[in-house]
Amino acid sequence: MMPGAVMLPAGPQEVTAARGAISLSGVTRIFAGSIPAVDHISLDIQAGEFFTLLGPSGCGKTTLLRMIAGFETPDEGRILISGKEMQDVPAHQRAVNTVFQSYALFPHLNVEQNIGFGLRMRGVRKPERKKRVDAMMELLQIGPFAARNAGQLSGGQRQRVALARALVNEPEVVLLDEPLSALDAKLRAELQIELLRMQKRLGMTFIFVTHDQHEALVMSDRIGVMSRGRLQQVGPVLDVYEKPRNVFVAEFLGLSNIWAIEPLGGGMAAAPIGMLRIAAEIGAARMAMIRPEKIWIYNDTHAPQGRENVFPGTVREAIYMGASTQYRIELGGGGFVLALDTNNQAAERSWRPGEAVAVELKAENIMLVEA
Amino acid sequence: MNAVPRRIQRVLAGISLPVYLLLYAPLSVIAIFSFAPSLGHPGPNVAAYGLLLNDPQVLAALRRSLTLAIGSAILGTMLGTLMGFGLSRFRPAKGGGFWLGTLPSLIIYLPIIMPSLVFGISELIFFNFVHEYTGLLSAGLLTMGIAHVTFQAPYVALVVYARLAGLDPNLFEASQDLYANAVKSFVFLTIPVVRPALIGGFLLAITLSIDDFTISFFTAGPGSVTLPIYIYSAIARKGSSPEINALGSLMIATVIGVALLYYFVTRHRERSNRIPAVA
Repeated sequence: MMPGAVMLPAGPQEVTAARGAISLSGVTRIFAGSIPAVDHISLDIQAGEFFTLLGPSGCGKTTLLRMIAGFETPDEGRILISGKEMQDVPAHQRAVNTVFQSYALFPHLNVEQNIGFGLRMRGVRKPERKKRVDAMMELLQIGPFAARNAGQLSGGQRQRVALARALVNEPEVVLLDEPLSALDAKLRAELQIELLRMQKRLGMTFIFVTHDQHEALVMSDRIGVMSRGRLQQVGPVLDVYEKPRNVFVAEFLGLSNIWAIEPLGGGMAAAPIGMLRIAAEIGAARMAMIRPEKIWIYNDTHAPQGRENVFPGTVREAIYMGASTQYRIELGGGGFVLALDTNNQAAERSWRPGEAVAVELKAENIMLVEA
Repeated sequence: MNAVPRRIQRVLAGISLPVYLLLYAPLSVIAIFSFAPSLGHPGPNVAAYGLLLNDPQVLAALRRSLTLAIGSAILGTMLGTLMGFGLSRFRPAKGGGFWLGTLPSLIIYLPIIMPSLVFGISELIFFNFVHEYTGLLSAGLLTMGIAHVTFQAPYVALVVYARLAGLDPNLFEASQDLYANAVKSFVFLTIPVVRPALIGGFLLAITLSIDDFTISFFTAGPGSVTLPIYIYSAIARKGSSPEINALGSLMIATVIGVALLYYFVTRHRERSNRIPAVA
């Protein structure tokens, strides 16, 4: 096949034909007798991108991944991989490889044979196969286990074998279905970095499915937040975190304070905690959000006088989390805010439950979100 | 072992000992009686075994039994494997209700539950019926073989299905994902992973065939006397004799041998194939 020579039917949206690019349009999957698992999802993933599908369990992210892999057929919509229509292409003919959550290593084969399985099925001859498998084992530092059975490996080693088994085929797209969720925290952090490095080095498109927002933040170029079969927001990590589009995204990704607001005109709005000045154009928005780390905490006596968006309150809960402390502060009006303060040297001091404080919600840090 | 109170352990032991006794006492009686003194052989002796091994009727029956057992076991294992595979592979995810979930497995397992008397009689009537209208399937080793296959296959299916059901369902998707079409997936994944169950099922089928009497009796013809039928007619004619006891002892030994083989083959394979579940 010649790269770049693929002709595409004119679609409703621009379709990139680069090797490893994915284009979904209106993809829907409805399991018999229930609400849609995946509901009209349209999404373009660039070649070589590390894209994360983030969402709670049951949001449809795995079903979407399985449709790209070819294990499920969409009831509606189109899937294009590298510009090619995938409707009638069975899983075994797609240049896509999957790393399963359970790893799914073949129990009757050793590590080396597991990794070489895809090449063997495609008829790659033994000398060439061995060369590529050896190179991949070297890259992922699993050479010493080549002759071991999958049952004799630790979780981290199995994860590496599963990854090697996918990467060795040099697929256009690698699909990863929560591949790190079974590992302990330290190993997971190590493998996150390794996975990322591997992806940048090989330049393949990675689609990563996770319910772990921290993992999504660390690894992705862009993320798509999913809920109830729909994409809630797609964008670069920073954008999605800093400018969540709606309440679901704001709450799922990181901590947030969210209030219903009533616009009063002149950049002011009434919220349950009091009057708020909001820098952004309020328009039709009826919900306001601020991240806990964007809230200033003052010692009661040092509180700035006569400024807007400053509220007196009392610390009710202080959770020490090492690098930072999370405070739950009850405001004078009865509402609560969640605030986060770093514990570095620049931090003025920390507060104990019961202390009187004042919090400032700077107008430019308040975001408007959809319900 | 979870903490079972010692008193309950004693009670259970007290129940199981007589049960074992009841199970194995008759077998040992036969074994002991096979060495019993007989005409011209005073005291315990192995004369009965010598007589047995020189009896052309017995040897012919043995040959027929083995031919029947191995032949039917090969066919029964092949059919049973496909049944077990189909049962695990094409069952709808949510159980499939009665028509797609319960019915297929019921149809396959029914021969196991069916009393062999009923099974044997219906086979007899069926074969007679077919023979009457077509002239095919006259009673003999062939009809016995068909009957044996029909009761072996469900057992093999059960063993193969249990093995497949215990596997990570993602394994089959992983093979497709790694460029194996349905045929390659079956050859390079399914067959190798069910091999221990296959061997186990094959050995099980052999033992089932060798010691089956009821169904064999109804489907046998005049020229297809197998060991169990020979033993039955010998006892019916002249009662129990040292030769019959010797034959019984040899069969018990063979079946125990095959059962042990089955145990070690499956156990060894299972151990080398098992992947601990990911927490």
